[in-house]
Amino acid sequence: MKTDKNEVLRYLGYRGKPADAKVLESISDCIAELEANTSPRSLNRNFPVTLGADAVTIGGIPIKSRDLRLHIDGCREAVVFAATLGTQADLLLRRYSKINMSRTVILQACAAAMVESYCDECGEVLAKEARTRGLFLRPRYSPGYGDFAITHQPDLLGLLDSQKKIGLTVTDSFMLAPSKSVTAIIGLTAEEKSCHIAKCMDCKSVNCPFRKG
Amino acid sequence: MNILNDLGKRILFFDGAMGTMLQENGLMPGELPELWNLTHPEVIENIHRQYVRAGANLLKTNTFGANGVKLRDSGHTVKEIAAAGVRLAKEAAGDNALVAMDIGPTGKLMKPLGDLGFEQAYELFKEMAVAGEQAGADFILIETMSDTYECKAAVLAVKENTKLPVFVTLIFDEKGKLLTGGDVPAVVALLEGLRVDAMGFNCGLGPDQMKELLPQLMSCCSVPVIVNPNAGLPRSVNGNTVFDVGPQEFADSMAEIAQGGAWMIGGCCGTTPEHIAAMVKRCKNIAPTPPVKHDITVVSSYAKAVVFGNKPVLIGERINPTGKSRLKQALRDNDMDYILREGITQQENGADILDVNVGLPEINEVELMQRAVTEIQGVIDLPLQIDTSNPQAMDASLRIYNGKPLINSVNGKEESMHSIFPLVKKYGGAVIALTLDENGIPETAEGRLAIAEKIVAVAAEYGIGKKDIIVDTLAMTISAGQENALVTLKALKLMREDLGVHTSLGVSNISFGLPQRENINAAFFTMALQNGLSAAIVNPNSQAMMNTFYAYCALSGADDKCMDYISKYSMQKAEAVPAASEITLHSAIRSGLKESAFAAAEKLLLDTPPLEIINTQLVPALDKVGTDFEQGVLFLPQLLMSAEAAKAAFEAIRSKLVSTGESVKKDKIILATVKGDIHDIGKNIVKVLLENYSYDVIDLGRDVPSEEIVKTALDHDVKLVGLSALMTTTVTNMEETIQQLHKNAPECKIMVGGAVLTPEYAKMIHADSYSKDAMGSVRYANLLFDQNS
Repeated sequence: MKTDKNEVLRYLGYRGKPADAKVLESISDCIAELEANTSPRSLNRNFPVTLGADAVTIGGIPIKSRDLRLHIDGCREAVVFAATLGTQADLLLRRYSKINMSRTVILQACAAAMVESYCDECGEVLAKEARTRGLFLRPRYSPGYGDFAITHQPDLLGLLDSQKKIGLTVTDSFMLAPSKSVTAIIGLTAEEKSCHIAKCMDCKSVNCPFRKG
Repeated sequence: MNILNDLGKRILFFDGAMGTMLQENGLMPGELPELWNLTHPEVIENIHRQYVRAGANLLKTNTFGANGVKLRDSGHTVKEIAAAGVRLAKEAAGDNALVAMDIGPTGKLMKPLGDLGFEQAYELFKEMAVAGEQAGADFILIETMSDTYECKAAVLAVKENTKLPVFVTLIFDEKGKLLTGGDVPAVVALLEGLRVDAMGFNCGLGPDQMKELLPQLMSCCSVPVIVNPNAGLPRSVNGNTVFDVGPQEFADSMAEIAQGGAWMIGGCCGTTPEHIAAMVKRCKNIAPTPPVKHDITVVSSYAKAVVFGNKPVLIGERINPTGKSRLKQALRDNDMDYILREGITQQENGADILDVNVGLPEINEVELMQRAVTEIQGVIDLPLQIDTSNPQAMDASLRIYNGKPLINSVNGKEESMHSIFPLVKKYGGAVIALTLDENGIPETAEGRLAIAEKIVAVAAEYGIGKKDIIVDTLAMTISAGQENALVTLKALKLMREDLGVHTSLGVSNISFGLPQRENINAAFFTMALQNGLSAAIVNPNSQAMMNTFYAYCALSGADDKCMDYISKYSMQKAEAVPAASEITLHSAIRSGLKESAFAAAEKLLLDTPPLEIINTQLVPALDKVGTDFEQGVLFLPQLLMSAEAAKAAFEAIRSKLVSTGESVKKDKIILATVKGDIHDIGKNIVKVLLENYSYDVIDLGRDVPSEEIVKTALDHDVKLVGLSALMTTTVTNMEETIQQLHKNAPECKIMVGGAVLTPEYAKMIHADSYSKDAMGSVRYANLLFDQNS
């Protein structure tokens, strides 16, 4: 798997500025440590979609979200997707946080970038499969984007039976555990040209440090 | 029919999948299958009947997820669903099959990575197990477990609250690992320690992959084995899961599995009555392989097993306050980070097991031992040696330990044996047996052997085998008796050769009262190993002891092709530390060079008072780095590297201050991540920086209730609290905490930070200050306390 170092630097707040050799070396080291110790896993399942007024129903789950509704406008089917780096990434972070905080923040950024690129790789497989049916993927849209409430995490995980299959759970306050995990809804559409260039485009969180553009 | 009587006489057959069958009958994704016990009882009973007709004689009830968490919003109770589930299975079973109350995982991740506590998990499983027994289940099957800790909670819940036999199957991947990292030997050590009646694999893999893993299990497992695979590896087709292995192919593989040693076989996801029928037909005449009792002395953590006998085992002795003032201070201050660092260092230096002893007269040992074990096992994957003479502390910490522990210790006194052995029996564990009794320590090796024989005999009465007794023949200083070493060594030999048990020693006791103790310790260590020492309680940070260890292993053949020795010593080179004269403290901090910063500080200390170094060098360097960070010249990793370099310099300065009796600790600041929030990296960054500026940080950790924060603020008269929250869902808890603080500790200021916060939002929830980054909190603290002083 390819973890994008520029993404890592972006998570670390570099905003395009160059990093020194020591930090770059530490990033390579952290990526290697993560790759040696984690086994990313994912799940996906397709469901028909019903679009309502500022709401969407997927797999029998009604979701009130104007932004998600706009994001998958025109889709009649969607993939419910989940991925996780597993508990090992969290354990490494816990361990380093006791002995080396600078490495911890770098490791944390690497893990975040790694789960993103893993999702992208999974997305390519899904895209290939969709294309055989003449369908195309919209970008991933996750609980927490725009007005898509994170209280829907348990619903998405339930549809995928994620605890049993990949060990992905959610806490009572709707955090994914293990923490380096992603859930998302990916619209399937017959339109080849997707107007959604980046996942940040539709998001209302203008203060988000990860926002592109 | 009692299942335990039937085991091993003939192969027994579990049924196949329930979920797969329910989906075919219209169960929707995300729907709770267990509710069908009430809404579609005829479907459930019919599925059970199909499996009985196929020849299954062990039925799993449709209660996999019928726990209090999953049923929370269902309008039904665990008891109701379990009773219906057992009843339906029993009706279908008649006299042809036995019924297992099926218990799956809670669906939550255990603390510290998730939010489910051990006792909470225990209660959830207890509710299910009791309901299953009341409804008439014949035994309990805990299945599809992927976490040893959750598994332990479930087994204890069943054993402590029912009289039913308990079987456990877990979900391994092709590499033989659980999702939470445990391997097969670690799981076997834990479950055999807990005295389960049978164990094995289910789900995750198909029969072919399980067949590959089976020899690993058979090589260490002495209890009956269960194998319930899926109908192949799951494959995704257009977003739907399919299984490819058909009934005949399944049956053929299952025959090999039965011949490979499994006594109970059946199916999991994707298997149908056709699979089971084919399997029963193919396997019913296979004779179960005779049981094999493995006499392996083993302890485990959640992740791995440490086996005694292959190679000397090193037990790190550093987490024991005897004679260690810094550790005593850490225990009194509840400074778990110090203890964790001690543990990590010992692991890095080669320890196989960590001794954990927190006994100090003025502390609550029961609480502290539990806390220390919990913290250590959340960060370090080595097995632990629970070392306490307080029976309550022993009981409490064995209970929450995630694995099969090493227990330190029992001795030949009646009282000791009858208080420790029941705990070993209940929680599992190997126990260090000291060769002393009511009459003291025998002066001869034969006398010590006699005590060891007594201990082994009494252990046997409790059902504890010799393999779980590790005899300590007691090293006593030669400064008090010239013959002490030779008696101990002779006793080691007797234990190994006559009694056939493994041995341990606290090696360094041999030199007490002598100068240059390492000389004696290292030589005695070699002699002890040569005389049959299996495990040594040593300081892994001692170069002399580790040199002895690696050399002994290479010489004795325990280190295959001397690979460990070569990899340890061939690449050894001195750490490249720039000479202190080459680099100033300021630039060492600026460049984030820990060793150089330490060296530079030590050099300055030769002619500069400590406080002057702090005020004229350290703090200005930190300020400059902080400003550069705020202006975007430096970034977070560099800021923290500098902070760590400053910390190293502080260590040098602090030792000087301690000797002069001065102190630099400034005002107290509480840091906490609010209730519900389990992410704490941001808070930990703030902590590092505040400590750099000498603030006395009280770190309450993550997921902290508002009451605890208020109480700590009042108890310690704290004037500044820093709160962090990462999610929109937990910001409400932050608001609640602020309200409580304002109300009960009105003089206390509150600063907040975290991904979802904005200055506006911080104001809205009445925080006194918003920090956009870690430096922001330092700036606010400096402003606040400088104004007050």
